[in-house]
Amino acid sequence: MRADCRASVDGGIVPFMRHRNAHRLGGFAVPALLPSCLAGCSGIQSALEPAGEEAASVFNLFWFMFSGGAIIWLGVVALVMYASRARQNPHSERASGLLILWGGAIFPSAVLALLLGFTFWLMPGIRPWTALADAPQLRIEVVGEQFWWRVTYFPGDGSDAVVSANEIRLPVGQRVEFTLKSNDVIHSFWIPSLGGKMDMIPGRTNRLSLLATKPGIFRGPCAEYCGTSHALMAFSVVAMEPMAFGKWLSRCAKSSENVAAAGSDAFLANGCGACHTIKGTEATGVIGPDLSHVGSRRTLGAGILPNNEATIARFITEPDRIKPGVQMPAFGMLPHQDIETIAAYLKGLK
Amino acid sequence: MRFVPKQIESLWTLFTAPVVWAVHFLASYLSAAVFCAKQEQLAFGFDMLRLAIATFTSVALAMIVLSAWLAWRQWGFGAHDPPHDDPTGHDRRLFQGFATLLLSGLSFVAVIYVAMPLLFVTECWR
Amino acid sequence: MTRPETASVKGRQAQAERLRAVWDNPSGWRYWTSVNNFQIGLWYGSAAFAFMLFAGVLALLMRMQLALPENNFLSADLFNQAFTLHGTVMMFLFAVPIFEAIAIFLLPPMLGARELPFPRLSAFGFWSFLIGGVFVCGSIFFNAAPSSGWFMYPPLATDKDFSGIGADIWLLGLSFIEIASIAAAIEIIVGVMKCRAPGMRINMMPLFAWYLLIVAGMILFAFPPLIAGDLLFEMQRMFDWPFFDAQRGGDPLLWQHLFWIFGHPEVYIIFLPAIALMAMIVPTFAQRPIVGYSWIVLAAVGTGFLSFGLWVHHMFTTGLPQISLAFFSAASEAVAIPTGVQIFVFIATMLAGKVILSVPMLFGTGGIAIFVIGGLTGVMVALAPFDWQAHDTYFIVAHLHYVLIGGMLFPVIAGIYYYYPLVDARKLSDHLGRLAFWQMFIGFNVAFFPMHLAGLRGMPRRVFTYPADIGWHWLNLISTVGAFIFAAGVLVVVIDVLRPKHHAPRGETNPWNAGTLEWISEPEENWGVRSIPIITSRYPLWDQKNLASEINEGRFYLPDAQEGYRETLVTSVLDAEPLQCLRVGGTSYVTIVSAASLGAVFIALTFHWWITALICGVVTCAAIIYWLWTGTAEIPEKPRKDVGLGLILPLYVSGPSSVGWWAMFITMVGDGTAFASLVFGYFFYWTIHDDFTAGLAGPGSFWPMVALALFLAAWLALLTARTLNDRGQPFAMRLSLMAALFLTAGGSAAGFMGPWSHAMAPTAHIYPAIVWILVIWMLAHAAVGLMMQVYCLARSLTGRLTDEYDMDLRNVVLYWHFLSITAVVTFAVIGLFPLAI
Repeated sequence: MRADCRASVDGGIVPFMRHRNAHRLGGFAVPALLPSCLAGCSGIQSALEPAGEEAASVFNLFWFMFSGGAIIWLGVVALVMYASRARQNPHSERASGLLILWGGAIFPSAVLALLLGFTFWLMPGIRPWTALADAPQLRIEVVGEQFWWRVTYFPGDGSDAVVSANEIRLPVGQRVEFTLKSNDVIHSFWIPSLGGKMDMIPGRTNRLSLLATKPGIFRGPCAEYCGTSHALMAFSVVAMEPMAFGKWLSRCAKSSENVAAAGSDAFLANGCGACHTIKGTEATGVIGPDLSHVGSRRTLGAGILPNNEATIARFITEPDRIKPGVQMPAFGMLPHQDIETIAAYLKGLK
Repeated sequence: MRFVPKQIESLWTLFTAPVVWAVHFLASYLSAAVFCAKQEQLAFGFDMLRLAIATFTSVALAMIVLSAWLAWRQWGFGAHDPPHDDPTGHDRRLFQGFATLLLSGLSFVAVIYVAMPLLFVTECWR
Repeated sequence: MTRPETASVKGRQAQAERLRAVWDNPSGWRYWTSVNNFQIGLWYGSAAFAFMLFAGVLALLMRMQLALPENNFLSADLFNQAFTLHGTVMMFLFAVPIFEAIAIFLLPPMLGARELPFPRLSAFGFWSFLIGGVFVCGSIFFNAAPSSGWFMYPPLATDKDFSGIGADIWLLGLSFIEIASIAAAIEIIVGVMKCRAPGMRINMMPLFAWYLLIVAGMILFAFPPLIAGDLLFEMQRMFDWPFFDAQRGGDPLLWQHLFWIFGHPEVYIIFLPAIALMAMIVPTFAQRPIVGYSWIVLAAVGTGFLSFGLWVHHMFTTGLPQISLAFFSAASEAVAIPTGVQIFVFIATMLAGKVILSVPMLFGTGGIAIFVIGGLTGVMVALAPFDWQAHDTYFIVAHLHYVLIGGMLFPVIAGIYYYYPLVDARKLSDHLGRLAFWQMFIGFNVAFFPMHLAGLRGMPRRVFTYPADIGWHWLNLISTVGAFIFAAGVLVVVIDVLRPKHHAPRGETNPWNAGTLEWISEPEENWGVRSIPIITSRYPLWDQKNLASEINEGRFYLPDAQEGYRETLVTSVLDAEPLQCLRVGGTSYVTIVSAASLGAVFIALTFHWWITALICGVVTCAAIIYWLWTGTAEIPEKPRKDVGLGLILPLYVSGPSSVGWWAMFITMVGDGTAFASLVFGYFFYWTIHDDFTAGLAGPGSFWPMVALALFLAAWLALLTARTLNDRGQPFAMRLSLMAALFLTAGGSAAGFMGPWSHAMAPTAHIYPAIVWILVIWMLAHAAVGLMMQVYCLARSLTGRLTDEYDMDLRNVVLYWHFLSITAVVTFAVIGLFPLAI
C-alpha cells in the first residue's frame, strides 16, 4: 500500500458532472440497456444490493412484502374483472356480504397483525443504540451543510479526531456509530447499500448505527430536500477491511506529505485558508470543507465531479455554475496560472 | 345495563368506540413521548411505562367491548339481517346498532395493533 | 303514493313562476354575484380543474427535465419552484376544493334540499379560494414562487437567506384558502345534518352524504393545526420570533408535527369523497342497491378517526424514539382495514348485481386496480424499517401517485362522466371517454410504476438532476414517456367537456337510470327541487313510484314562494322530521367584497404593506358586519308558515335547533383545535428542553389570574344577560351586556399585563415567544367577543334582538362558552404551569 490516503479498494463510482451540459433532449440509447438491467444492475446507491446488516434485513422484508402484495393485487384485480362481467344470475346479497366480512375485514386484519408483529420484533434488532454505548467503537460525526458533508472520525481507542469531508470510510464487520447534525437546514444521511436514512436536524443530534458486511464502494445522497442544489449533495462511501481502515485513518491523522509543495503559497495568498483547513499549513478556516487530504478523495464537490486537476480548477473558477446556491464565491478572476497551480497542489494532497 | 336506555336516540354513540381508540392512542403516544424526553428526571423505568400503557389498553378494550355489547343489543343480538333500509325508526335504530357494532370491532383491532409495540420495544431506543 | 290536489294546473304554473323568479340568477355582470349552489359548485369545480391542469403542466416540465440525466431543460431553482407549486396546487387548489365544489353542487338535490343552509358562505369560500389560488399560482410567472417544497420545512423555509417572498406567498395565500375550506366544511356538516328531505333518516342518507359529513368533520380537526402552524411560521418570518430556530430554543420538528397532523388526514380528506362518488356510481351500474351500506359507514367513520393517528409516519427518519414510531406504524396499518372494506363493498355490490361497464365504471374499476397497488405499497412504507429505506425516494413518489390518482383522480373523472348530464342535460362522449381511459390508465402505469424501482435503487425525491451512470436513466425516460401519454388522456377529457354540444339534442333526465334524488334536478332550473319530497327509501327513484313527476308537479313541501324568499326545510338529525322553514340568503355582492378585501389583507401582509393591510382589514370587518346585520337573524313578518301538505313550521328558530347555532358550534370546534395546537406547542417546548424557560422571567401568576377572573366574570355577565332577555327585561339585559363589555376589556388588559410587565421579549427566546402567542390568541378572540357584545347591544337597541327573536344572543353566548374555556386553559398554562415544574 502506498503511503498516501488512497483507498485500497477500487471500482464502481463514476462521478457524473463530467457530462453536464452535454445532454439535451434527444440522442439516447435505451433499448440495449433494458434486458441486462432488469436482472438487477442496481449500482452503487441501491437498496436492492445490500452490503450492510440493516439493508439486508430490509431487503428481505421488501421481497417478502412484494411477493405477498403481488399475490393480493392479482387476486383483487381478478375479482374485479370477474365482477365486472355482465351476468344473468347475480350472486346473492348474503354471499356478497360474507365476501366483505372475510375479504375486506378479517383477512386484512390477520395479515396486518402478523406483519406488524414481525416488524416490531425486527425493529430494535436493526437499530440498536443504547446496548452499544459501552463498547469502544468507531464513531463518525457527520454534519450536514448546504450542500456538502463535514465528517469527523472519533476512533474508539481514544486517539485524536480526524477531520475530513464528503467521503466516509468505514471498516467492514464492525458497528459504526454515526452522530448526525446540521449547521443550517434539515438534511438526511443515507447510504442505501448499508441501511436506512436518518435526518440531520439543526439543534438536534441524531444517531445511526450501521454495520457493513461487504467491502465495496457506495454512494450516499442527501435524502431531505435542502435547497437549490439538494440534488448535488452526495458523498462516496468506502467500506474497507478493518486493518486497511486502521492504517488509512492513522495516515489521515497526519498532514499530507505535499503540504509545502509549490501551490501552497498561491493557496494562502488568495485567502483560501480563510474558509478551508489544510493540516500542517496556516490554512485553518472551518467554513468550507477540510482539504487536508482532498487529493485522495474519490470525488469532488460532494460526490458530483471526478477528482482531477481539471475539475478542481473548474470548481475554483465557477462553483456557482456547477452547484447553484453554493456558499463558495467564484474565483474566476484569478490568473489562469494561479488556478492551475492551486488545482495541482490540491490534487497532490493525498 | 339498565342505566343505558335500550333505544339510543343520538348519533353520537356511533362514535364511542373510535373515540376510545383515539384517546387510548393519544394517551399511549404522549406518555411514551414525555417519558422518553424526560427519562432522566423520572424515578421510574420503561417497564413502568409499559405497565401504564397496558393498563390504558385494558380499560380501552373494556370500554369498546361494552360499546359493542350495547350496540349488539340494539341490533337485536343479530336477529335482523341488513340492509336496514325500511323507513321506520325501528330500522334506523337497527342500522345504528349494526354500524356501531362494526365500528367497535374495528376499534378493538386498532387498539390491539397500537398496544403491540409494548411486547417488543423495551427501551427508548431511537 | 298519491297526494291530495293542492292546486289546479294553472295555480301550479303560477307557483312555479314565482319560485323560478325567487331562485333566478341575475343577468349581465351581476351574474357573478349569484350565490346559488349550482353556480358556485360549477365555478368552484371549474377553477379547481383549471388549477389541476396548470399543476399538470408543471409536472410535465419536471418530467422533461428528468427525462435525461444531467439535463439542462430547467434551472435548479425553476425546477424547485415547479415541484413545490405542483404539490401545493394539487393538494390545496385541486384535490380538496374539487370536493367542496362537488359537494356544494350535488348535496342539495341529493338531499332533497333547495340549498345548503349558508349559500353566501359558499360564495365567500369560492371567491376566497379563487383569489388565493391565483395569487399563489401567479407567483411563478414572476419567478417568485415558493421553492421550499409543499411541506415548507423550516429552517429552509423560515430563513430569508434560503427562501424569498415565495414562502410568504405560500403561507399567506394558503392560510386564506384554508379559511375557505373550513367555511365549506361548516356548510357541509350543517347541510347534511339539518337540511335533508323529510323522512330521509340517517339510514336512508345517500352514501355520498355520509362520506362528506365525515370528511367535513375531518377538515375541522385537520386544517386548524396547519393554521396554527402558519401563524407561528409567519411570526418567525415577519417578526423574527424563534419558534423553529434551534439557536433560540425553537425546534424545526414542531412544524413537522403540525404540518403532518394536517397533512395525513388531508390524504383521506381527498380520498374519501372520491370513494363517495364511487359509492354513488357503482350501485347505478350494478343496477341494485349497495351491498354493505353499514360497512361503508364503518369504513368512512373508521378511516376518519384512524387517519389522525398516522402523522408521524412522515417523520420516521427524524430520530424519534422507536416506541413512538411503532405506535404510528400500528395505526397506519390499522387504517388499511377500513380502506380494504370499501373496496370489497364495491366488489360485493358488483357481484350481486348486473354490471354495465360504462365509462364511469371503467374509470372506477381502473382506479381501484391502481389504488390497490398504492394501498399495498402504503402497507409497506407504514412499516418503519422499510420506510427508513424508502422515505423521501421515488418509491414514495410512486406510492402517493398510485394512491391519489387511483383513489382520487380516476374516480373524479368517473364522476365527471357520470354527473355531466346534471350540468348540461347531455352525456359526454362514450367513445372519447374510453379513449381517454385507456390513455390515462396505460400512461399512468408506464409513468409511475418504474418510479418504485428508481426509488429502491436510491433515487431521492426533489432532485432536479441525477448522474448518468447510476442506473436510473432508462427508468426516468420511460416515466417521462408515460407522463405524456397520461397527459394526452387528460387532454381528451378536457376536449370532451369543452367541445360545444348545443347541436346535440337535449338528453333525458336521469339518463343512467340511477336511484338517488339528485337525478330529478334539471340543469335549466336553479331551485334544486321543484318541491321538497318525503323520502322512504335509500334509492327513492327506484322504489317510490311516480316520485319524480309528483315532485315536479309541486305536490310536496314548499312548492311556492309567496313571500318572495328563498326557503328550504330544516329537519331533525336522526329521523329528518321537519322542524323549521329556513330562509337562506340570496344574490349579493357582499360575499365578493368581503372575500376580496380579506384577500387584499393577506396579499398586503405578504409584501409588508402594513397600512394597506390595516385599511383592508377594516373594510373586511365592515363588510362582514354589514353582511350579518342585513342578512342574518332577520325577524320574519310572521312567526309560522304553512309549508304545504298541511304542515305549519316556524320561520325563526334560535338555540341548539337552529342552523346558525350549529355553524357557530362547528366553527368554534375548529377554532379550539387551532388553539389546542398552540398549547401543544407550549408543552412540546417543555419536553425538548431541560428548562424551557431558559431562566427567563415568565408572566407571573398574578396578572394571568386577574385576567382569568375578569374573563369568567364577563362570561357570567353574558349568561345573566341571556337569562334577563328570556325574562323579557331588555333594559336589565343591556346593562348586563355593558358590564360584560367592561369586564372583557379589563380582562384583555390584565392578560396583556402579564407578559408585558415582566418585559418578556418574544424575539429573545422560545419561552417568551410561546407565552406571547398564547396571550395574543386569547386577546384576539376576546376582541371578537367584545365586538359580538357590542353587536348584540346594537341589535337590541334597534329592536332586531328581542326576547322572542334572540338568535344573535344565543350564538354569542355559545362563542363565549368556548372563549371561557380558552381563557381557563391559556391563563392556567402560562400562569400556573411554570410553578408546577
